[in-house]
Amino acid sequence: MAISFPSTDYFEALKGKMTAQQEKFRRLGFIDTTFGVKVGNNGKARNFVLEFEVFDLKNVREVDAIDLKKVDFMIEGDARVWREMIENIHRNGEADSSHDLNTLAHFGEQLKIVYDDPDGHDKLYRFMESIQKFFDLSSQVEVSFS
Amino acid sequence: MAYLSTTNYLEDKDFIDKWLYTMRTGEMDLSWMKAATEKVKPHEANSRRGLTYRDLDLGSYGFTGVPEKVRGNRSYAPRGAEIPAGVPDAQPWVSRKSEVWAFNTESYYEEAVSRQWNVTTDIPWERLDSVELPETIGKALSQLMTFLTEVEMIATDTPAMWLPRLNPDFIEVKAFIAAQAMDEARHTEAFRKRALTTGWGLMKASPVNEMALKHLRDADSFSEMSVALHLVAEGNVLTMFRFSEYLSPTDVDKRIFRLVMQDEARHVGYGMQHFKYVLENFPEKREVLHAHLDEAENISFAGSAATELTESFIILAGGGLKKENIEEGIKITTKFNLKQMEEHFERLDKCGMPERKQRSKLYQMYEMGRAAAEAAGIKL
Amino acid sequence: MAFYADKDYTTDQTVFEAVNQVMSGNLTLFWYDAKTEKVKGKPTDLRRGLTYKDLDLGSYGYSSIPENLRTSQSMVARGSEKWGNLPDMGYVVNRKSEIWADNVTYLYEEDKSRRWTPAVDVPWSDLDAHPIAAPIEAACSQLYTFLQECALVSMDFAARWVPLVNQDFIEQKSWMCAQMFNWARLNEAFRKRALCGGAGLGRASVSGEQGLKEWLWADSYPKGSLSINLSLGGIVLAICRHVAAFAPSKVDRVLMGYAMQDSARQTAYGSGQLRYYLTHRPAEMSAMQEYVDDSEHVMLALLGSPELIEPLIIISGGGLQKDQVQAGRAAVAKFLRLAISEYFERLEAAGLAASRTRSRIAPVVERISAAA
Repeated sequence: MAISFPSTDYFEALKGKMTAQQEKFRRLGFIDTTFGVKVGNNGKARNFVLEFEVFDLKNVREVDAIDLKKVDFMIEGDARVWREMIENIHRNGEADSSHDLNTLAHFGEQLKIVYDDPDGHDKLYRFMESIQKFFDLSSQVEVSFS
Repeated sequence: MAYLSTTNYLEDKDFIDKWLYTMRTGEMDLSWMKAATEKVKPHEANSRRGLTYRDLDLGSYGFTGVPEKVRGNRSYAPRGAEIPAGVPDAQPWVSRKSEVWAFNTESYYEEAVSRQWNVTTDIPWERLDSVELPETIGKALSQLMTFLTEVEMIATDTPAMWLPRLNPDFIEVKAFIAAQAMDEARHTEAFRKRALTTGWGLMKASPVNEMALKHLRDADSFSEMSVALHLVAEGNVLTMFRFSEYLSPTDVDKRIFRLVMQDEARHVGYGMQHFKYVLENFPEKREVLHAHLDEAENISFAGSAATELTESFIILAGGGLKKENIEEGIKITTKFNLKQMEEHFERLDKCGMPERKQRSKLYQMYEMGRAAAEAAGIKL
Repeated sequence: MAFYADKDYTTDQTVFEAVNQVMSGNLTLFWYDAKTEKVKGKPTDLRRGLTYKDLDLGSYGYSSIPENLRTSQSMVARGSEKWGNLPDMGYVVNRKSEIWADNVTYLYEEDKSRRWTPAVDVPWSDLDAHPIAAPIEAACSQLYTFLQECALVSMDFAARWVPLVNQDFIEQKSWMCAQMFNWARLNEAFRKRALCGGAGLGRASVSGEQGLKEWLWADSYPKGSLSINLSLGGIVLAICRHVAAFAPSKVDRVLMGYAMQDSARQTAYGSGQLRYYLTHRPAEMSAMQEYVDDSEHVMLALLGSPELIEPLIIISGGGLQKDQVQAGRAAVAKFLRLAISEYFERLEAAGLAASRTRSRIAPVVERISAAA
């Protein structure tokens, strides 16, 4: 059954896949970061906080608003951009170079990285391979878009 | 010590105007496109190994073509790039190939990258939870680990100290030296972590051995440093790791020693190949190296007075402090000491210094030790 | 420079006697009751293994390293018992505030955990299967030539200071060794990439190298660290992100993916060190700000180097046609703003709050970016 994006179920599904592919993520190394995902839609937004620890997504929760002081960074974007990214991942098995997180967020024009502390911001790049591979797991999940 | 650039670029109007012009008009200088450099197309010789430094050993980019005396590059430019006038002098101390080179340097580096391991996660530390070593063994192990922690940290300082002094054209050697420093940091970490998981903590420092460590670091040339560090010290330590693996009281210790052994063997391999290379390509250096070996061997022998280490070995080898344990420990430790010296001279012999035995006081000590061991009925 | 032993030990009777005593079974055991703390460290999280943080215990821990190290100048492992005649190793970095960062032990563990191998982790043969247009490949070869210069200097910086740092900062020294190795690996990757596209290497950069040498040869570790780890690390990180975003090949994208992780760690340490230094040595704030003022022209020397900026325009725009250069210029203008803005963010977060407002390079870069 398709899982709706955005939702905690979607991130929980990725979490399950991540656990199942532990060896792959172990090879990429520790990932210790907590970040926010904000999906905007017609002036409204849904917000999620993802807490990664060691090799796992420890916890994901939906929140009303993301407190930038409590996360390392937040990835913010319109639902259309997120959808395009996930559909691209589905088609290719992983994001192509026009649809990976770094490219989409590079100049903040499609996805935007928002942060309070630049040390937190740099964690996105320190753990980029793991974070990208985490989102690439979307290729193994049936996703529907509301 | 500070260096100031020949130009303050904030005040260099031409520099800023040219940049501004490029950005405003899109007209680029593009003179770098005409760089007088060679066009090559390297390929992976073996796809399982991937693209190695050896695959890049082509024309002006290759290490084979590096001359004995590097006169053309004293900057930070990568070997083979076009070097315009105005680049700074990197102040390298070592620009002579035979002072640093070793057959297979590039492969030793690639091996180091490929065989990286992680003390934190590759050692099954959790198994130590249920291990309670007898006090004698635990303390002897901690004392050994304390000594090895001291040894390994100087082994990071020494290659690190030399790295920036090497001409940038010796990029494969610099890379190997950087990898070695990381290997040694990992070894320090492994031994410190093990000492702090025995329940006894660290033990006593080893002043006699510290003197030897200072000798390793402070050499007059890279080759002298290398013969003392890679050949004498690491050669001895390699034998010691093998011995320690044999004596290891737990499978965790065995794993530690097996992993550090791999790294150490690589360093000794480089040291041997370099020693061979320098003897063959810089024959005038032979006497200098003999003289440095006189010092290195003297200090190496001084290590036998470090009873805190010898006694730890005896206890670990014999399995305790009872009379029969100590007797057995002494037999095994004697064999180890002699093996260590024997292997040292074997290495020098293989590298092209067979005459070393005639000159060496350490060799005389070895012969005396061997005779004494045989007289004591120790089978060698 | 050489250090010689104080005597000929092969003729020293005390050595023979000591050895004979022990080898006759008369052990001294003087070390057996070492006056050291007895601890048994354990991993707190089995997935993570046994980290340095797990061993931050009592007299062995890094938390208890004092600001001034006055009694340790030898190779003794921190926490073990000192005795006898220990050598003076001549360390010059003996104050914790001059070297430490709160994130250093974590960064060391992260570094080992996130290791990679350029020879096999980058799909090099993909460049044979999908060759790149000649002008873009030439631009790549020039860009990666420039990046090798940056990597070499960064490697030399860590190496230059390691032997001068007091042995009690063992986790810090280990991290610096990891940095050396990181930059050796990046240098290797950049060289392989530059050569495997078939265009050979390009030209060294005069402004780049002059600037790099000024930063490398800074007269104290905190200043050099600010320049090499925070500033240069930040520039390399920004270049990696930019090239990954405009990657002309899968090889470039994969390589820059790994390179951005490595360079982000350097930047994180640089920020952490500066923050620690200024927090513990507030009186040094003005001297540090003055150093930034004096040396920030190097940012221009690097970012404005034709050997960097021109290949970036070509790679970003996808070629040398007019419209491609136009697009490339626009992208590079954004890149410049991004690199400079993040540089000031890091300085400010670390404690140099006035950097942006007093900077003389900010308006220059803005004027140049706006021109595109």
